[in-house]
Amino acid sequence: MELTIIINKKDYAFSVDPSDSLLSILREHLSLTGTKNGCSQGHCGACTVVVNGKAVKSCITKAKKLENAEVLTIEGVSSNFILHAIQEAFIEATAVQCGFCTPGYIMELYALLQADPDAEKEEIHKALEKHLCRCTGYQPIIDAALLAQEKIKNS
Amino acid sequence: MKLFNKVVGTSIPRADAHEKVTGTALYIDDLRFPRTLKMKVLRAGVPHAIINSIEISKAIDMPGVHKVFTGKSLNLDKNHLFGTCIFDQAPLAIDKVRHAGEIVAVVIAETEKQALAAIKNIDVDFKELPFILDPIEAVGKEAPLIHEQNGKYHHVPTFVPEPQTNIFYKYHLKKGDYEHVFQDAEITVEDNFEYPLMNHAAIEPHGAIAQWDHTGELHLWSSSQAPFVLREVLADYFKIKQMIKIHIHIPYLGGGFGGKSDYTIEPLVALAAQLVPGYHVKFVLTRKEVFIGSVLGRGMKGHMKLGAKKDGTLVGIEATQYFSDGAYGDTGCNVVLAAGHNCVGPYFFPKCNLKSFGVYTNSAPVGAFRGYGHPEGQFMIERLLEKLALKLGMEYDDLRMKNFLRPADTNSLGQIINEHNGDIRKCFTQTITKLNEIPLPPEDESFFYGRAAVGLIKSPVQTANASSNVFLKFNEDLTVNISTGGVELGQGSLTVLAQIAAQTLHIPVSNIRINYEINTQLTPYEWQTVASMTTMRVGNAIISACEKSITQFKQNAALVWDYALNDIVYDGTKVSYQDRFLDLKELVLGYQYSDGHTVGNPILTTGSSVVRNVTFPDLETGQYQPYEWTFGSQGVDLKINKKTGEITILHFVTALDAGKVINPALARGQVTGGVMQGIGQALKEKIVYDESGNMTTTNLRRYAIPRLSDMPEKFSCIFIETPQPDGPFGARPIAEHPALGPPSVILNAIQRVTGISFTSIPVTKERMLNALKAGEK
Repeated sequence: MELTIIINKKDYAFSVDPSDSLLSILREHLSLTGTKNGCSQGHCGACTVVVNGKAVKSCITKAKKLENAEVLTIEGVSSNFILHAIQEAFIEATAVQCGFCTPGYIMELYALLQADPDAEKEEIHKALEKHLCRCTGYQPIIDAALLAQEKIKNS
Repeated sequence: MKLFNKVVGTSIPRADAHEKVTGTALYIDDLRFPRTLKMKVLRAGVPHAIINSIEISKAIDMPGVHKVFTGKSLNLDKNHLFGTCIFDQAPLAIDKVRHAGEIVAVVIAETEKQALAAIKNIDVDFKELPFILDPIEAVGKEAPLIHEQNGKYHHVPTFVPEPQTNIFYKYHLKKGDYEHVFQDAEITVEDNFEYPLMNHAAIEPHGAIAQWDHTGELHLWSSSQAPFVLREVLADYFKIKQMIKIHIHIPYLGGGFGGKSDYTIEPLVALAAQLVPGYHVKFVLTRKEVFIGSVLGRGMKGHMKLGAKKDGTLVGIEATQYFSDGAYGDTGCNVVLAAGHNCVGPYFFPKCNLKSFGVYTNSAPVGAFRGYGHPEGQFMIERLLEKLALKLGMEYDDLRMKNFLRPADTNSLGQIINEHNGDIRKCFTQTITKLNEIPLPPEDESFFYGRAAVGLIKSPVQTANASSNVFLKFNEDLTVNISTGGVELGQGSLTVLAQIAAQTLHIPVSNIRINYEINTQLTPYEWQTVASMTTMRVGNAIISACEKSITQFKQNAALVWDYALNDIVYDGTKVSYQDRFLDLKELVLGYQYSDGHTVGNPILTTGSSVVRNVTFPDLETGQYQPYEWTFGSQGVDLKINKKTGEITILHFVTALDAGKVINPALARGQVTGGVMQGIGQALKEKIVYDESGNMTTTNLRRYAIPRLSDMPEKFSCIFIETPQPDGPFGARPIAEHPALGPPSVILNAIQRVTGISFTSIPVTKERMLNALKAGEK
């Protein structure tokens, strides 16, 4: 089927199979490899992107449902070599180790803090709870999230 | 110039952070090549069977399919096995399958969908055999024999199999009068323990891409911690006589934890690619395949007995550990060895009788996993000390303090402990002090509150001639490229190694670039990135290369000034002699006089660090010289919900004698991450097989790794710094260590407060609740 999706503010027309996931469109059609595939089952959160302002797991999101949807991936978060506050916070809080789960976390927080810059700590925890990280023990990721919120508020 | 002196010991940001937060860091599945075919495999689905026949003709005719093959269709036989210790494994099954995840057929097709469709059209006829998953049952006389050829496989002399059994390796360590271990004992305690099979669950699944070019050279990209082991294994397997004809490339790794060490899928992907010369063949495991078809970790059932005097002085230890190492033993051998001599923990025993068995079973094969044979023994000894303290009526902490190894004591291997090995008493007392900072609430209506602390020890397990080597070049602008075969798998090696180089050279760390991408054609030899040794071994190689660079600058200046080398001073920006000096930029390509003629050479050096005095185990006594140790301690405060059985970690304290912390934030990250893995093992993680011999824990829900909500309410990390004399700036290994203690310390805290003595993990919420209920009756 034919489909138009707006990805990182550009229109793309695709011919997709009904079974294709958004993740496979991003990675295989567009080589937007910043979005990672950790499990293909919606369990790990590494593939999280923002669709129409909401964080979704792209591996279990069917592309066919996304006609004219606006998708933001990690490639669309920073521009002209300037990092977004969330990305800066991940660096400063040492919330990155192997880095495989990192883009998913950043997109999750992007959606949350865009919608509600004053999100309560509990909401932030709830959002981060959807993701798995095997390296950091989570504490640095929480630190990064709170730091990012502070940066966004102060900017 | 002294500005840069302090970069060691500071938390500079990660060198790879920018790439990773922007999604531009490339991992194996992100690599794109022309003429790439996809590979998919058919796995047995039965745990132990003879392959009668495999029908592949229908699959061959499917659209997009380039090749379909089986072990038989390629005429593989006993001459096509590979390994590093015991050569007992083929790239795919030949005439028999030994675990349900074993690969029996391979499809190479234009697309993944086409490959999967073809896989569905392959029919296999098996003659099923009795299977066995329990390692103790597997050593019994009635057990089905998993490898009829056990004993006939090529193996290195150290690992001697027992033919006509499922035992591929038996290690027996004897210290002192090992036949009368408990002669001087006034009290003994013993128990059986189980540390189940587990999965590393790195968030990045394993992947590899292989291509044979038109000259017959092999190019392989892999998510591997061990490029040079791969080169050795592949050269041997494919009879490639010159290593210059193998190109192993390693991109960024999305976590490893040992699960990507040695080898996993690479021989098979290379074999597949050989059938379609010129094409790149790509194979990335699904999450289910990571569970059933890469390597597992742990899997120990064992018995331990301790003897002591009435005052608590330990006099002897006996332990027998059976490792269910799965269908193939090669990657398990050294784990069994390490488990054997390290199960005594950081305690002094005059007599030891320690046996460990590597046992074939019908699970996925078992290999390295963070801790490498140490967590199992640490679990047993610390649980048993708890029992001993109770029986003696002695304070738990006093019993440990009394028996920790002291300088001049010998460990199980007879090695003498020195002051410089680190201070376990300091680690332990600081752990307890840290716990005491927050009072533990008394039991209330809803919760039990428990506290415990344990000791830990780990030695890096490495091959006897393990080495790290680096190339270093100074560029014209005084930036420095350093090339190492050490793999950045998240631990932060790119950052820490740059700090070591910057401080040695007295130049800004931003001027140092460590290569992240490894290519065995360009990168010097590195044994493999395991055993927490990168900071230490590669760090030492870098210091050596940096020092040689400094000497070269001085040599260039000495040619200009005609002074003796020793009188010339280097400070990171210039070299000087009394009131004369030359800027480093004037010397970096050699010194050019005003008329153009040039003396000296560009600054270009190498550095090496080879493990010294490590020997192979003696076949009779089990004695040998491994590398040195890191001591530490871990403590916990937890609460147990009386109604639900839920265990909440309130405060988890880790104290390690790190020698010298190069980057505190990264070191702390190793601790918080390692502790969480240990907590997962204590409370959640276990590989389970069903009655058909198929694994049921094949996704990240059923195999529940810790989530954010499992995190301790508070983490404390304490680093003691007793310098390691041969470590870079005094540093010693710390990366695996935080994962060791959580199971024992958590179960000890549970026992202290509820009286319930668990001897196996995980203690899930349900299991805790059931035990509480049983206790009420």
